[in-house]
Amino acid sequence: MAAAGLKTVILLSFVLAVGFLLIILSCALWSNWLPLLVALTFVLAPLPNALFSHCGSEEFSTLEDGSGPLDLGRFITAIVVVTGFALPLVLAHSDIIRPAACAMSIIGGGLVYGTILAYSAAFKQDDSEFD
Amino acid sequence: MSLPRADYDPRRVCVNPCPNLTLGVGRNKRTAGVYLAGALFAIAVWTFLDAAILSAHAKPAHDTEPVLVHVTFVDWVPGICSLLGMLVVNLIDKDRVRGEDGFGDSKAVWRARLFLFISFALMAGGLAGSVCVLILKYILNDYPEMYKYYGYCNVSQNIGFMLSAVVLWISQSSSGEYEYNLTI
Repeated sequence: MAAAGLKTVILLSFVLAVGFLLIILSCALWSNWLPLLVALTFVLAPLPNALFSHCGSEEFSTLEDGSGPLDLGRFITAIVVVTGFALPLVLAHSDIIRPAACAMSIIGGGLVYGTILAYSAAFKQDDSEFD
Repeated sequence: MSLPRADYDPRRVCVNPCPNLTLGVGRNKRTAGVYLAGALFAIAVWTFLDAAILSAHAKPAHDTEPVLVHVTFVDWVPGICSLLGMLVVNLIDKDRVRGEDGFGDSKAVWRARLFLFISFALMAGGLAGSVCVLILKYILNDYPEMYKYYGYCNVSQNIGFMLSAVVLWISQSSSGEYEYNLTI
């Protein structure tokens, strides 16, 4: 696990850096820093699930789904993720940012969020050992 | 002679029961449904915000004529109504609405149904209000198509809220563990 884990970490950090590069480039090329909100949105996206997953696991440890706080966390997560994709589209639609900046920030945001998802999926087993 | 109602369920509300919709994702039905509901909600919100931002940054086609119409507070009211209705629908405990005897008092069931009715009425009123705004503010005044887009966005926002509430309700009431379903 150690060698594969190291390779995974290096690959994921590389992808994360490319994602942030694309977002910052989409801001800096046209000196319009509104697409930076996309990076903030996607970084905040896993936060509701992470918070509310601890809410649900106390009472219903065997029942993994079926409690209200878990559903609320998933609902907010979906809202935040769709917000991250919709924000550049809306800004490009009303001519505040260029379409190229819109595409770059969407791709960058997708890379950042995909990195976060892949990281939490790849290292989930390590966390559960300590519970 | 009518057919015997073999599968008569005394809990149901309508004579013709709605088909028992399932999302068909299998084991993670509830999770996928909640995610889908959140996505629909965000799409609805952003559809209207698109119109609002577009209106705030609207430039006239010619320099002489001003921008004819803007998104004002009137356009926000149906969405707020739908949002309140959706909030109350999801805050109600769904076991109360089914109204089984020996589970709480009958007043609680009555109140839960009243609040459910009010919240459904708020959501339907929001949808109707958005259609009203579309017709009265944009179509009857015969604005060009770029301004009618604001009204269409308003209607689709409220439809999105309603779809989100429906998906959330279905996915939360078809819980796999105990298999009880609320048949409306």
